[in-house]
Amino acid sequence: MSIPGVNNRMTRITNIRWMPVLFLLPSVLCYLLFKYYPLLSMVRVSFFRYSIVNPPGEFIGLANYTEFLTSSTFWQAVSNTFVFFALYLGLTFWIPIVQALLLSDIRKANAFFRFMYQLPTIMPAVAGVLVWKWMYNPDFGLLNYWLHFFGLGPYMWLNDLNITKLAIVLPAVFAGNGISLLLYYSAIKSIPTEILEAAKVDGASPWRRMWTMLLPNIRFIIVIQFIAFMSGVLLAYDNIYVMTQGGPAGSTTVVSMLVVNTAFQQSRFGISGAMSLFMFFVIALLTVLQNKISAEKD
Amino acid sequence: MKKKIRLSAASMLLLTVALTTAACGGNNGNGNGNASPSTNTAPENNAAASDSESPSASAQEDAVEIVVWDKPSADAADKAFKEEAFAAFEAKYPNIKVTHVEQTKEKEREQFMTAVAGGEQPDLYKNPYPDMESYIAQGIAADITDLWNGFEGKDGYLPSSLNAATVDGKIYGVPNDMYVTGLLYNKQMFADAGLDPAASLKDWDSFGAAAQKMTDASKGTYGYAILGMDWADWFFEYYVWQAGGDLTEKQPDGTAKLTFTSDATIKALQYYKDLKFKYKATQKNVVQSLDDNQKDFYTGRAASMIAGSDWIGGLVAKGMDLNNIGFSALPAGPSGKAPSQVGGSYWILNPKSSPEKQQAAFTYATYMTSKEYLQSVLQYNKDNGMFPNLLSVRTDVAVTDYVDGLPAEVVSGVQAAAKDTHLEYFLKARLSPYIVKPIQEALLNEKADLKSVLQTAQDLAQKEVVDKYNEEVKK
Repeated sequence: MSIPGVNNRMTRITNIRWMPVLFLLPSVLCYLLFKYYPLLSMVRVSFFRYSIVNPPGEFIGLANYTEFLTSSTFWQAVSNTFVFFALYLGLTFWIPIVQALLLSDIRKANAFFRFMYQLPTIMPAVAGVLVWKWMYNPDFGLLNYWLHFFGLGPYMWLNDLNITKLAIVLPAVFAGNGISLLLYYSAIKSIPTEILEAAKVDGASPWRRMWTMLLPNIRFIIVIQFIAFMSGVLLAYDNIYVMTQGGPAGSTTVVSMLVVNTAFQQSRFGISGAMSLFMFFVIALLTVLQNKISAEKD
Repeated sequence: MKKKIRLSAASMLLLTVALTTAACGGNNGNGNGNASPSTNTAPENNAAASDSESPSASAQEDAVEIVVWDKPSADAADKAFKEEAFAAFEAKYPNIKVTHVEQTKEKEREQFMTAVAGGEQPDLYKNPYPDMESYIAQGIAADITDLWNGFEGKDGYLPSSLNAATVDGKIYGVPNDMYVTGLLYNKQMFADAGLDPAASLKDWDSFGAAAQKMTDASKGTYGYAILGMDWADWFFEYYVWQAGGDLTEKQPDGTAKLTFTSDATIKALQYYKDLKFKYKATQKNVVQSLDDNQKDFYTGRAASMIAGSDWIGGLVAKGMDLNNIGFSALPAGPSGKAPSQVGGSYWILNPKSSPEKQQAAFTYATYMTSKEYLQSVLQYNKDNGMFPNLLSVRTDVAVTDYVDGLPAEVVSGVQAAAKDTHLEYFLKARLSPYIVKPIQEALLNEKADLKSVLQTAQDLAQKEVVDKYNEEVKK
């Protein structure tokens, strides 16, 4: 005797294509193990005065959260993080967009230019930062040496509290992101040429074509890139660490650095987890806001 | 056909899972894949050999396996020597099997703390003095008082070498090595400037003037390599001591009191600022790394720098002429005194290891600091033209017997520096970032109001560290 409801469910189950599921399983398991398990552990740890020897230690509720939220060191790091965000946004984010727009108009040697833009990506990022750090050296760095030919400097770069942040961002201005450029370029090239040609025939200027046709058509890529850029900058660690280790005088200590230092230098894993969770929510909130604004515009 | 494809796909899946598992998994560092500390004794491994009548075979029946983070790197000059020493230990103690694990050369503390947090703390680990306070408080270093008191060879160690590992009468570490800090100077640069080192290094004023005289921007040389990076408090504390104070005080009840705004600290910070802005005797890049400071010194750019007595060998290895190196006690400050810092490292035991493993780890640590072993190290250094650390944790090892052509001033300088020594300031591990900030502000901003920046740093450290610490202590 067959039961119709059960049979339907069985059919649905047997109709699932199990092979792709099985192939995906290892990566999903690794993702759960190395992404979600640490994330959930971090949430749990953030409610404890974590004991590294006898984990998890004493349950203290929200005390870790109140502690960092009332700590001026934390807010200084948050401020530094957002100043970096503003600097990176203002000085670097738009550069690959402009480069892609210009590149899309170049007919001759286009492949050569695309290749040349990608070439610097073969250099490891940290190696690039080390080279810049050497160039910034106020005692014998190349940058001051070059600038003096133009009557500029000497500047103290990483030794000047007023310009240290700018000095950290500056390399990204000159060594832009080649991959982003390629993405924008591909998005521009995917716009139907008839539309652009029609606009040209109708007498739309290059400026007008850029604002009314090119940019709106690649907005999806810009939004995706912006979300990746935002989380990348708000969680930046390696280039700042290599350049200044968070100094001088804490002027470049960002939240991610504070999280690492609190955990591994002070062995305070609970509060470190709480701060990480805070940053997770900040980035999530900004991403949602960004998506909402973008959806409204659409 | 469809079945064949499915079989082939299933095989690929198995292969993928196997590869993923291999990639995701990892060796836990003890080499045998056994994570449980209490089960590392491996009598079963020796069961096959138990029929043998040989003493080593019977000893292996009770073999204890320990993990020690002391494997030399592949490019270490003394790799072969160390491996011979490991083999000699195992021959002498066949019942102790040591798994030697190599540690990273940078971020060692972070690597160790990650291992502790992950339940992979080695049975024996070597760490510097300043970490002892924190490791003892967190229960990372085992109490070895009974092992130490029952150890016949304990009288061979300098009593003072145990100071940084002793809390409330309990001992937490086996002394491994020691150094004393002082001022290293380039004799040639002093001579070229017509300066007498003894007179120049007498006090703060004479040193500032001498360092200024040796600074010549056109030659790219300067008088004093100051440490202003994120370890700036390490050497700055000496200046506070020289001014008659300290950065913190440990109260009789175990609580901490901050003294960032004491007269001594303000005077010390003013002197730091003067070295940079009044005497203009330091490098411009005051936040450069300690390695860069050393490089400036051995390449003849910097005329002087603070250093440990165990650094001289490294400088000679980098090509500096031993006869050109002077070592002196630090210039005296306003208090008329010039205390230096004593530092070094200890072997600490994992408190979670079984008693058998702890005993084995203790045996290994004491072997590696025995008179015979340290003498063999000194002889090896001598045979290979390597300059040794001039201080030893042992009373029965005469380091100077193993150095040829050692300038008498260096020996007398180290002895003078060792006359008045301090341990680093109390609660350093947690307070360091708070005091580094005003030091860097003083070195980078000529207009910085020192009292104000120190007060701000003290208020912040009081609120964020000391109040909480004192509460915990009083519980």
